[in-house]
Amino acid sequence: MITPSYRLLTVTGALMLGATFAHADTLRVLNWQGYGTDERWAIEQFEQATGHRVVHEYFNSEQEMLTKLRTNPGAYDVIVINAAYTQQAAEEGLIQPIDLADIPNAESLDAELAGHPHLSLDGEVYGAAWVWGVTSFAINTQAISEPPNSLQVLWDPQYAGRIGWRDDAVESVQFAALLTGQDINAPDDFDEIRERLYALKPQIRTFWGSENEWNQYMASGEFDMATYWSGSAARSGGHFGLPIEFVTPREGAIAWLDGLSMQTDAPHPEAAREFIDWMIAPDFYTYWDGEVGAPISANVEAVAALPDGAFNKALMEDLEQVERLPFMGPIEETMRRQMLEVWQETKTYFQE
Amino acid sequence: MALPDTVSVPRRGPSDARSAAWLMGPAYLWLIITVLLPLAAMFYFSFLSDVPIAGRNWYTTFSNYEAFFQQEFYRTLMWRSLRLGAEVALWCFVIGFPCAYVLAKTIKGRWREALFLLVIIPFWSNALIRIFSWTMVLRGNGILERFLAWLIPGFGSLDLMFTYPAVVIGLVHSYLPYMILTCYISLQTIDDSLVDAARSLGASRLTVLRKVILPLAMPGIVAGAVLIFVPVIGSFMEPRILGGREGTFLGTVIEDQFTAVFNWPLGAALSFLLLACVLIIFAVFQPILRRAS
Amino acid sequence: MKATPTLLVVGRLYLALVLAFLYLPIVVMATMSFNTSQFYQLPIDWTFDWYVQLSSNQRLLAATRNSILVAMATTLIATVLGTAASIALFRYEFRFKKLFQAALFPPIAIPWLITGTAMLLFFFWSGIGRGLHAMVLGHVALALPYVIIVVSARLRGFDADLEAAARSLGATPWQVVRYVTLPYMAPGIIAGALFAFAVSFDQFVISYFLSVPGISTLPVEIYSAIRQGFTPEINAISTLVIAFSITLLVIVSRFYRFGDSR
Repeated sequence: MITPSYRLLTVTGALMLGATFAHADTLRVLNWQGYGTDERWAIEQFEQATGHRVVHEYFNSEQEMLTKLRTNPGAYDVIVINAAYTQQAAEEGLIQPIDLADIPNAESLDAELAGHPHLSLDGEVYGAAWVWGVTSFAINTQAISEPPNSLQVLWDPQYAGRIGWRDDAVESVQFAALLTGQDINAPDDFDEIRERLYALKPQIRTFWGSENEWNQYMASGEFDMATYWSGSAARSGGHFGLPIEFVTPREGAIAWLDGLSMQTDAPHPEAAREFIDWMIAPDFYTYWDGEVGAPISANVEAVAALPDGAFNKALMEDLEQVERLPFMGPIEETMRRQMLEVWQETKTYFQE
Repeated sequence: MALPDTVSVPRRGPSDARSAAWLMGPAYLWLIITVLLPLAAMFYFSFLSDVPIAGRNWYTTFSNYEAFFQQEFYRTLMWRSLRLGAEVALWCFVIGFPCAYVLAKTIKGRWREALFLLVIIPFWSNALIRIFSWTMVLRGNGILERFLAWLIPGFGSLDLMFTYPAVVIGLVHSYLPYMILTCYISLQTIDDSLVDAARSLGASRLTVLRKVILPLAMPGIVAGAVLIFVPVIGSFMEPRILGGREGTFLGTVIEDQFTAVFNWPLGAALSFLLLACVLIIFAVFQPILRRAS
Repeated sequence: MKATPTLLVVGRLYLALVLAFLYLPIVVMATMSFNTSQFYQLPIDWTFDWYVQLSSNQRLLAATRNSILVAMATTLIATVLGTAASIALFRYEFRFKKLFQAALFPPIAIPWLITGTAMLLFFFWSGIGRGLHAMVLGHVALALPYVIIVVSARLRGFDADLEAAARSLGATPWQVVRYVTLPYMAPGIIAGALFAFAVSFDQFVISYFLSVPGISTLPVEIYSAIRQGFTPEINAISTLVIAFSITLLVIVSRFYRFGDSR
């Protein structure tokens, strides 16, 4: 009674807006907030070029993203998925295969990244490689003058109550695994990991859940240092002008690759492919990285065009120095449950 | 045109039941579809191994309830949620009862009505926004700290944001009007001459309060406490916004199971264990609650 | 008990203090909506910008429209169903009446988290689906008990002999209802309807679990904005919502004497 009339309203609205284009669709994109696809200039350019409108929905964790896909079949067109979760999403039938031949700009993708095993399942590609980067931490340069070079500093009593941490089970466990030299996707010594996480209790000021939140906490001086993603650090330090510095610890960092996927039964597959193509084009990336700040593009042309002194150029050089650079990979079901449980246990321990 | 109704309608009989059914049926049917059936479905889900939709393997199991009893942290969180409910109810009583007393016994007429309305209004305004407004007050270097620093030069940082007390403050603010309302109603029914009689017999103010007023107001106090306790133990939005690192409760874990982890059966089992606690509380206080209504 | 003048003053001061506690955060929140700084920095630099930005925020506007639509549908349905049920509960004697009355309390007495997740799970699984229609289903369930309680409270003072008198004077059953019963009940019905509107308009938890991509209500949008990191725009919309609720409540108070409820 209400839903249909509401739909009618939005449909008419969309029709009126895009009256000049033959196929004007309203694309629904699922992503982290403030992560490239929702940049106002990018959407405006895309809308002008293709006539399609773009609306966004956001998630605060990969788990939440997967659940949104499960409970809202056929609702989204384009989804940004960490390659570590692409296979799981494909196995559950949440996303559809993509033929990279339909996406012209895919030609200039780095072959290794485009063909990354995490992005495909049973010989079919489910995600177009978009950007990659690392998870580590950033320091507030107003509070710390000498940048540390070890993950160990997050456990340093000197910074008790001054650390920002993301409330995420997988990321937390992987930090502890990295520190203790274990496989980040399948650590075998959970007691050691639990011990490390418990030891964070006096350190953590509060959890952060989104990039915007991270910026607000940093701006108001709540953190001396906080776990962070390289692309977001480029934005916070450059675009938002926060006094921060991203740290590449000698133990290494957690590397990830984000791909662009399409939901099974995506309502506008054609427009979705156009949007993916737009997003992996060197033009978009150059502007995004130059004006706002971004992770490292999977597009070789885009990376080649990086100016000297660019954040990501320096980062790539730094990353060659670290002991190891494990990529986030698919995590087995029982392992994932174990990670969730250990983190839940840790958070409970934090309460006492 | 209408003929006088010469047949006197019996006050009780089968036609009564039919008319009543017609009038009440729709409302109760609605409640069955939207409350009873969902709860029944949830009970069923709590015995499954996975969400029973296409593409997922599921079978019946007790493992969701077992998890609660095997994993210590679930019990810790349950205990924490219950403690939060009790603490919030207690603070509401400590702050709200005197307030209700002043309103009911010392202020009269239009003033009383206006003040009473002022107390009730926040309760009917958006709870989410009121919790959000506390972040404005409590945040580091926020209004509260500035005010205290101005009042007491050299006052350091309170560090209230993202702590357990912040959650308690926010929840007390949310539910205080409940307690004031129920206490007020039961205080109103106390006959002033009873109090005067006690006084004239030589009882001190404190004795009157302890021996006369409190016992007579007890139904209102208990009703208020139960009405506060029950929603508080299921709260998740308030701890998420105000609690930060100290904001993990059973409510937030249940919400996670539904919105992030997609382990609906576990979420359902935890919900039912929480509901069991609610029922036990109701059963224990049933006699006093009955008097209150 | 006659209070001494000192005690009276202390009592009133205390009342003022509690009222300050209740209103202070709301006032602070509203004040910040007029502050230029995006990070809420002090001192305040007054501006109307956030309200201007609000007027072009399609997302919040659409959510506001949804909230109003859902609240109106809820009000209509809950008032009709609730009034009918109150009449039955007042006028007739039948078996299990106590049980029926008790059955009104679960929607109020069970934590919303549990009702909300149960609705999510049942509506999703049974094919009823989520979205605005599901929210109306849920909100009516929460509003019904309030309507029935308020309308019943009004009915309690009704003299059934009035109806008998009207009948004996030749009124049809419909005329009795139209000219005798309903006019008497009107203030209760109006108060009940306004309660239903307020319950629905402010409802967050149920709507949160029943929203789908692109279709949400104002509280749900505000919550996700708070979790993504808030801006004074959220203060602005919150201020408007609070102002609206307060106005609504002041109107309710004309029909329903809160202070006299027993």
